[in-house]
Amino acid sequence: MSHEVTLSASPFDPVEAQRLFLAAADAGAVISFTGLARPTTRDGHPVTALVLESHRSLTLQSMDGIAAAAHARFAITASRVIHREGRILPGEPIVFVAAAAAHRRAAFEAADYMMDRLKSEAVFWKREEGPDGARWIEPTADDAADLARWHDADSTDAGGIDHVRD
Amino acid sequence: MAEFRPLDVELFGKLADPCGAAITISIPAAGCTASELRALVAAHDAGLGSLLTTTTVRFCINGRVAAESARVAPGDDVALLPPVSGG
Repeated sequence: MSHEVTLSASPFDPVEAQRLFLAAADAGAVISFTGLARPTTRDGHPVTALVLESHRSLTLQSMDGIAAAAHARFAITASRVIHREGRILPGEPIVFVAAAAAHRRAAFEAADYMMDRLKSEAVFWKREEGPDGARWIEPTADDAADLARWHDADSTDAGGIDHVRD
Repeated sequence: MAEFRPLDVELFGKLADPCGAAITISIPAAGCTASELRALVAAHDAGLGSLLTTTTVRFCINGRVAAESARVAPGDDVALLPPVSGG
């Protein structure tokens, strides 16, 4: 069982990430997901860039905790997470998540779980820049609802900012 | 009379809008709590003071998320974090 988490300040190639993960996976099922920066805001205004601010230690710790929690929760044998930080242009990949398992269900669920938690709990502060200026993105109700899907019998999953305190 | 020492405080997300990503404030030489630090940061600038009345913040002291009661001493690596947005 291995997990690898990377915070990338420059653009990355999700196809290459997928190729490397597949080559090393040694599993019956591999799922991958790539998230791309959108060219418009939720209400349809143009976005010229998305800026993801990170913290030099807490951000990677929160990502690593989320991946570790996925391994504790699902029968996956390997995972890979790559997340951009800094200034991201529309169409550029922001996040790549992959999970490998003996059978597909665990891999699908682990990738879904990691994405829901990365989208709401990873330590980033997100700003959209457009022709009319910049705007900080606050956590949304949709993010909270996506996260709540996983809070059933065991809601003590590690990862996220609450789990990097002493 | 109490002695004071300078402390650099990093500000993340929208907390950096009024004064930039780092400010220097004075704290008691003997240190203070994280909660007292927030009040000192709020007193540093009216814009920051206003943001801090409406924003839940967490404290990062020497690389770890810390509670309101945690101690901050001159020389510590300190940051104020608004709610994260996720990636």
